[in-house]
Amino acid sequence: MSKDQNPELRRSVTPWGSFSWGYSDVGADIFVGLGLVLGAAAGASNVAFLFAGIVYVCIGLAYTELAATYPVAGGGQYFVLRGLGDIFGFIAGWAVLLDFTIDIALFAWSCVDYLSELLPILGSGPHPWAHFAVTIGLVVGLCTLNFIGVRESTAFNGFVSGLDIVSETAILTLGFLFAFSPDLLVHTMKTSWPTPFDLMKGISLAIVSFVGLESISQAAEETQRPASIIPRTSTALILTILIFALSYANLALGMHTWHPIPPDAHGHAQMLWQWLGNSDNNGKAVALIAKQVPYWGAVAAFYVPVLGAVLLLISSNSGVFGSSRIAYAMSKGGLLPSIFQSVHRRFRTPTVSLLVFSGVALVEVIFAALPSLSPRMADVYAKHFNGESGIDFLGDLYAFGAATSYSFVFVALVALRMTDPLSPRKFKIPFNIPFTFRGERVEFPLVAVVGFIGIVAILVFTMITHPIGRIAGPLWIVLGLILYFAYRKSRALPVFHSRKREWRVEQMEILRRAGELELMDEYVANVKASDERRMKEAV
Amino acid sequence: MIYSNADIHVTLAGVVIAIVILIAIVATLWWMLHPPASFVQRLAKEAEADLERMVGSIVVVFSQDILSGHMMALAAKLARGEKSELLAVYVIEVPYTLPPDAEMPVEERTALDALGAAETIASNTDVSLRTDIIKARSTKQAVLDLAKREKANLIILGSFREGKYTGAPLGRTIEEIAADAKCDVLIGVEGKHGTLLVEETSAPGAPL
Repeated sequence: MSKDQNPELRRSVTPWGSFSWGYSDVGADIFVGLGLVLGAAAGASNVAFLFAGIVYVCIGLAYTELAATYPVAGGGQYFVLRGLGDIFGFIAGWAVLLDFTIDIALFAWSCVDYLSELLPILGSGPHPWAHFAVTIGLVVGLCTLNFIGVRESTAFNGFVSGLDIVSETAILTLGFLFAFSPDLLVHTMKTSWPTPFDLMKGISLAIVSFVGLESISQAAEETQRPASIIPRTSTALILTILIFALSYANLALGMHTWHPIPPDAHGHAQMLWQWLGNSDNNGKAVALIAKQVPYWGAVAAFYVPVLGAVLLLISSNSGVFGSSRIAYAMSKGGLLPSIFQSVHRRFRTPTVSLLVFSGVALVEVIFAALPSLSPRMADVYAKHFNGESGIDFLGDLYAFGAATSYSFVFVALVALRMTDPLSPRKFKIPFNIPFTFRGERVEFPLVAVVGFIGIVAILVFTMITHPIGRIAGPLWIVLGLILYFAYRKSRALPVFHSRKREWRVEQMEILRRAGELELMDEYVANVKASDERRMKEAV
Repeated sequence: MIYSNADIHVTLAGVVIAIVILIAIVATLWWMLHPPASFVQRLAKEAEADLERMVGSIVVVFSQDILSGHMMALAAKLARGEKSELLAVYVIEVPYTLPPDAEMPVEERTALDALGAAETIASNTDVSLRTDIIKARSTKQAVLDLAKREKANLIILGSFREGKYTGAPLGRTIEEIAADAKCDVLIGVEGKHGTLLVEETSAPGAPL
């Protein structure tokens, strides 16, 4: 067999492989998000998760339809580029890049938090320097591994995901079975209902628990029969994560603890949610809640921190891998300077992309750690950023990046329904309004409107409630746009318009490469019928 | 409250929610892992089922005109994967000028070598193999009778390119067995393992 100049990605990812790529990313979020949301939304944490969960279902459905229709390894950035053009594709991709860099920093940070449950010397509260050094070491280590091309295998991802699902199902099932009281839940909700400001903050942080669906789309090109498999794996992922997030939130509010909760710093008694949401514990809330499940907690206390740390490390690694690949893809698409395409001669990895975005993640870790490392910086953060620090800082930016890119994906979904009605959609979001647009029958997706309103609301909540997010987030976008304009101008490419592309040819190639031959036939037939109809109308 | 003590608090709502969580997670994952088969997957499944039926019992045939060494290796691998019964048989064709049980030391020696190699291949591949040497007037008839007696599902034969058209390019005996056998027949025609194609395309100045 001759060697291809541009070898195609092998379609080796099975349904479980596709699911576990997504799960190892999104599944880790609850390990971080639960404590953050409990700390902000208090007795309404379940409501915050429900609101973000509804938006997440809409996001999931949008991604599912788009990834099944366009099974390419670009994810949200590609959908927006195709639906809305180059500049919006850039903004969406740049926001995803922000999320990937946060992914690296936040999950490495939280990984150390979970490890600190077994190794107290790593605790961010009592030993900030040790926590900081190990987090930095993890980021540098992951960058090095990706630099030399070592990555965890799909089999390892699958194993860890499977183990985690079994473990979380056990924690939740046994927790509800032996320690849940609906009366306590109602009582906590009544007595600890937050202010509207805190509820908005909680909702904006709850979306953090649902970020990472991108991973399934990223692996679409390597997935077997993507148009058939991705809708199933995405739907299963959405349901699994939603069940876990809502269950954890309700359990945390209505659980009788197995061991007494230690008093707070002032010696006051505190409830379970308060203990999980305080700044010393919010990075390891799942491990702590597992410890409180009667009997099972004795076992869970040992393995959940390790399992959480491994899952978070995989998620952090997916940030290193994803950011470098997105930057590489954006550079190939003429959205970023060609230097991001440079590949190491020996290791065949995108060196510059890896170094730049891992470097950004290191800067984010430093900003997050500053208040705990220096009392002077703690004063500055307290004065200007509502006392936010560490993990809050990373959570803010994560929510901002996710909300921005998801907003564009909803608009791209609507645009593609209008401009590309001929591409076969093996999965279509329900609840559509059919009408005729430019001579073609199209369907307007109502769910996209609901999702768009929801995600814009979350974006607004983020801007209102997160002082760091409202400065650093838009600043990141502005910096990106300056880079984009300068690059496009220097290369004499259209700055505000898009480059011309042959989407029809590209769509056929996408379906052929994905092995979706029946869909390719359907697409060709649709195009032919449309062209003939237009010719007749013209005559 | 259904039951309560110092450690556990069992409530009806808690029990119902726990059961719902368990069922929902299991059902979701089961549904995800069982997608409907595509057209090409159905084709592939049918072909695999055919193969399973086809390789229940395999007979590999050797003779003076049937060179099956490489096919024996293939048969052994197939038998290991499908857990088939494997029989290698060497047929010595006895001319009508000799009695049916005539001593033919040279041919018998060749047969022992061929079957010895077959046993080594089987042993290396970790499959069990029965071997037999048959003397017969007609190789074709001997093979067909053996296949019937052994209830063989597949006869495997090696062949070679004649190099010119002789009316039976794969050898008359092989073609007759293929034509008259009541089971599947797999004929391996030894080529040059693809090197001819590579040589042609990689030779300097060769047309692409």
